[in-house]
Amino acid sequence: MIAWLQFILGALLITAGVVVLALSLFGVYRFNYVLNRMHAAAMGDTLGILLVLGGLIVFSGFSALSLKLLLTIVMLWLTSPVSSHLIGRLEVHINEKIDKHLKEVNH
Amino acid sequence: MAKLRNNYESSAWFRFLSWMKKGSSRMERDMIHALETEALPNQRSETEQLALDREREEKERRDRENERAIQDKLHLWSTRRGSRLVRVAYRCAAVLICVAIIYVLLVSMSEEPMFGQAENPVNNEVSARYIEDGLTETGSVNIVGGMILDYRAFDTLGESHVLFIAACSVMLLLRMNLDKNGRPTREQLDAEADDRKYEPHNDVILQKVSNLIVPCLLLFGIYVVLNGHLSAGGGFSGGAIMGAALILYVNAHGLTKASQHKLFGAKVFKYVTFAALAFYSLAKSYSFFMGANHLDSHIPLGTPGNILSAGLILPMNISVVAVSLKKKYSFYPLFRKGDF
Repeated sequence: MIAWLQFILGALLITAGVVVLALSLFGVYRFNYVLNRMHAAAMGDTLGILLVLGGLIVFSGFSALSLKLLLTIVMLWLTSPVSSHLIGRLEVHINEKIDKHLKEVNH
Repeated sequence: MAKLRNNYESSAWFRFLSWMKKGSSRMERDMIHALETEALPNQRSETEQLALDREREEKERRDRENERAIQDKLHLWSTRRGSRLVRVAYRCAAVLICVAIIYVLLVSMSEEPMFGQAENPVNNEVSARYIEDGLTETGSVNIVGGMILDYRAFDTLGESHVLFIAACSVMLLLRMNLDKNGRPTREQLDAEADDRKYEPHNDVILQKVSNLIVPCLLLFGIYVVLNGHLSAGGGFSGGAIMGAALILYVNAHGLTKASQHKLFGAKVFKYVTFAALAFYSLAKSYSFFMGANHLDSHIPLGTPGNILSAGLILPMNISVVAVSLKKKYSFYPLFRKGDF
């Protein structure tokens, strides 16, 4: 019974993660501007990987392997937003015509 | 106290040095000096002098014109016929070299045994011996570590020297030296000024995260190195991890802050690389003189699975990591501004 629950929960998580990753890949090819594409890619890097690795953690139960997977999630969640931040910062710094891509929001 | 010598000018060592430097000994210099002083009182009248001057100017002008004509001709030749000739020769040489290499490769391939036969070297007793007796002979649980640092340590010696030579040639090509008086040259100042755009680094997010991650990466690299004979890993992979950690640190905090640490300097690079390569060569280059035979090192192998086991593999892993880590780190500042 508990093994079945484990399997179903893990499979659901992995499926959701794969869907998120596919969406982010679609977004990377669909969007035209760097910052939009970066937004899509960052979503896959964080949420998709969290879901997939979470599913693997559920599969393996309490073990050293799941601890390592948890550490992988921590590492990726620390590093991948920083790299996205650096890409965005570089784009803002070097693109002179960035106003063209920004929409003015009136509150 | 050093002995005072007042006949230094005529000592053999000084004469040898000056002969090396100028190509003339003291005696010859004296002779030249005497000739010059004697030849001076040779007065000419003013008109003679003027005529001589005019003649000399005329000669110089003719020489200059001749030279320019020759240069023009050479330029014409090298841009029209010469460049075509060079291009044709270059292509012919390329084709010839390619054909030669292909011939050599095909001949050596035809000497090889057929693929997938039972008596091939892949299936012979060497690999079987590595797998069966590797643990007892080298004491290393990680069979790859035992192979590359014990059975084939001589090959790895060459590999680490390849890394060293790569670092040396990059330094030779990219490093900018001080000039003769010890002052920075114009190029160096230009590179420094270019680099100032990226200095100081003030990205707080990157700095905080790198402060958090760099120690973990270094620790993981040390673990990979020290466990080289127990689990997958070893000197080269550990060096890659630790070099990446150092590059991340420099990227986050800038070269000016990093160069305050002694660890990042060129001097440390020199000594660490030298010590590691010298240790490795002393430990393993005997096979070069022994005709690739194994020599018993008389170091107890210990129990397989302990940290202190497998004889020389652990210290050699450490020396390999020193070389590859320093190489990987030194490439970053060299490619960025040509200096440490």
